[in-house]
Amino acid sequence: MRPVALAKSRTLPLGEPWRALVPDAGLRRGSTVVVEAPVGLGGLSLALSLLSEASAQGHWAAVVGVDDPGVVAMVELGLDLRRVLFVPRPRGAWAESAADLLDGVDLVLVRPPSRAGLVAARRLMDRVRERGTVLIALSEPRAPWPLPADLFFRVTQAEWVASSKLDARYLTVHVSGRGEAQRGSEHVVVVPNRRGRAEAN
Amino acid sequence: MEQLLAVWVDALALEAPDGSTLRDTLSLLDALDAMCPFTEAVRLGLFVLPLRGPSRFFGGDAAVLAMVRQCVLDVVGGAPRRGVAEGLFCAELAAHREVIVPRGASDAFRRAQPLEVLGRKDLTTTCQRLGLHSVGAFADLERARVGERFNKHALTLHRVARGELSELEGQRDPRLARRLAQLRGEEEFFDEQQGFFGQRGAGDDRAEAAAHRVRRRLGADAIAVATLRGGRGPEDQGALVPWGSPESKTRDLAPWPGRLAAPSAATTLAHPAPVQLRDAANRPVVMDARGALSAEPAAVLFSSPLRREVVWHAGPWPLVERWWARHRRRAHLQLVLATGEALLMVAESSQWWLVGIYD
Repeated sequence: MRPVALAKSRTLPLGEPWRALVPDAGLRRGSTVVVEAPVGLGGLSLALSLLSEASAQGHWAAVVGVDDPGVVAMVELGLDLRRVLFVPRPRGAWAESAADLLDGVDLVLVRPPSRAGLVAARRLMDRVRERGTVLIALSEPRAPWPLPADLFFRVTQAEWVASSKLDARYLTVHVSGRGEAQRGSEHVVVVPNRRGRAEAN
Repeated sequence: MEQLLAVWVDALALEAPDGSTLRDTLSLLDALDAMCPFTEAVRLGLFVLPLRGPSRFFGGDAAVLAMVRQCVLDVVGGAPRRGVAEGLFCAELAAHREVIVPRGASDAFRRAQPLEVLGRKDLTTTCQRLGLHSVGAFADLERARVGERFNKHALTLHRVARGELSELEGQRDPRLARRLAQLRGEEEFFDEQQGFFGQRGAGDDRAEAAAHRVRRRLGADAIAVATLRGGRGPEDQGALVPWGSPESKTRDLAPWPGRLAAPSAATTLAHPAPVQLRDAANRPVVMDARGALSAEPAAVLFSSPLRREVVWHAGPWPLVERWWARHRRRAHLQLVLATGEALLMVAESSQWWLVGIYD
C-alpha cells in the first residue's frame, strides 16, 4: 500500500547496509551522491540498491542512461517498479532529461553515456539543491564525475562467491563525503546476496 | 521429427481436491527432469521428454525407459505407461498402447490408428459412413473435400492425421506450467505489480508532469516504465515499455518454471550480443542436445577483437520452450571473467549470446 502522506523530511530513507555507513542514516535531500566503480564490478547494483528503500516506501525514482536495466534484479533489490521511470537512451540529452525528472521525482539515478561535463554537472547539482531531491551519479574511474559529491561510494574490489551458480558478490566500498564523513572509511558489503538484495557483510 | 518418450501416469491424471495431484506432478517432474533435462508436464498425467540425449547419456533407449519407470514407481508408487514415437500426438498414443515405435515408423503408426484417437465422435461417425476407418484413410481425403464436408475443426484434425501438425488441440494444458510454478512459490517473488497509476497522489501528478516533459524533449518512446512478464530467463522476464503505452497500463505477470535463481543480472540486454566461447585449445565450446558442454569454457570473444579469460562457469541450465513446435533449445550459462566481471550467456543452436551483465 502507498503511504498516505509522505512528509517532506530532511532525508530519504536508505536500506541495509548503507544506513549504518552514512551520516544521518539516509540520503539528505538536495544532495548529490556519486557511485564510482570499474566497468562491470557492481556499480550499477550498488547505485540501484541506494534507491530501493525510498522506492519501497513510496517515493518516485527515475533511472537515466541505463540502456538495459535488469528489471528482475531491481525487484530483487527491493525497488517498487510502479514508481520508477526510465530514460534508457537519452543520447546527448542525459543532463536535460535528468533535470526534467528532478522536478517530478525524489531520486534520479543517472549514468552519463560519456564523460560528464563540468557545466552540466554543476547545473544538475544546483537544481538538486533547489528542488530538494537526490541525484545519484554512476561513473567510472576513467570518466569520473567532475565535481565533489556530498556522498561518495567508490568500489575498489568485487569478488563473487559461487556454488553451483553465482551466489553473492562481496564489494569493497570506500565511503566518504563532506563534513564528518570527509576522511571516509572502507567497508565490505554484499551486493547482491543470494536473494538479490544488498546486505552487510 | 524428434523421438519423444511419453510417460502416462494414471494416478496423476485426475486432480484430487486436496492438491496432492499437483504436488506429486511437481515432484515427479523435478525427479524426471533431474535425469532427463527438457522433461515437460504436458497436462495432468502426461509427461514427455526427448529421448535422444538421455539415451546417448545412459547407454540406450532401454536404459532410459527402465530409469523412468523406476523414477515413477519411487515418486508416485504406481507403474507408468511408456511409449516412444515422433511428435507429441504419436508419442501419447504410443504410451497408451505401451509401444516403442521405431525411428521413421511414426507415420505408419499414426495412419494405422482408428479414427477415435482424433477425439471427435461426429467426425468418426461421418467418416465411418464414408467407409473410412483409420487415421490414414482420413488423411488421404483431399483437403478440399474435408473442407466441404466437415467444419473448420476437422481441417486441423486432417492436418494432424497427415502428420503436418504433431500435436492435437487440447492435448496440452497451457495453464499447468503456471500452476506448477505457483506451487513452487514463485508467485511470491512476482508479487502483484499494478498499473502505472493505481491510487493517485500528488507525487504521481508531479511524476507524470515530469514524464511529459521528457517525452516532449526526446520523443514518444524515450521515457519508459518496467514490466514483468513470463519467461525463463531474466532477459525474457523484464522489459521496458514506453510510458503511457497500452502495455504500460496492463502489465502482465506470468511466472514460469525454470526461472534462474536470484541474484539476477543488473543489466539484461534487450538485444543479446553474439559472442564466442572457446575452450583451452581455442576450439568453440558447443552445447549438445543433452545440454552438456563440449569442453570447459576458457575464454569469451566479443564481436570486437576483445577476448576475456574465463575463470569460472556454472550451468548450462536448459530452458524448455515450445520445443514440440520448433526445435529450439536454449540454456543459460554463468561466467566469471578474470577481470572480475560476471556474465550471463544463452546458448541457442550452437550460438552463444550475451544476455546479462552482473554489473
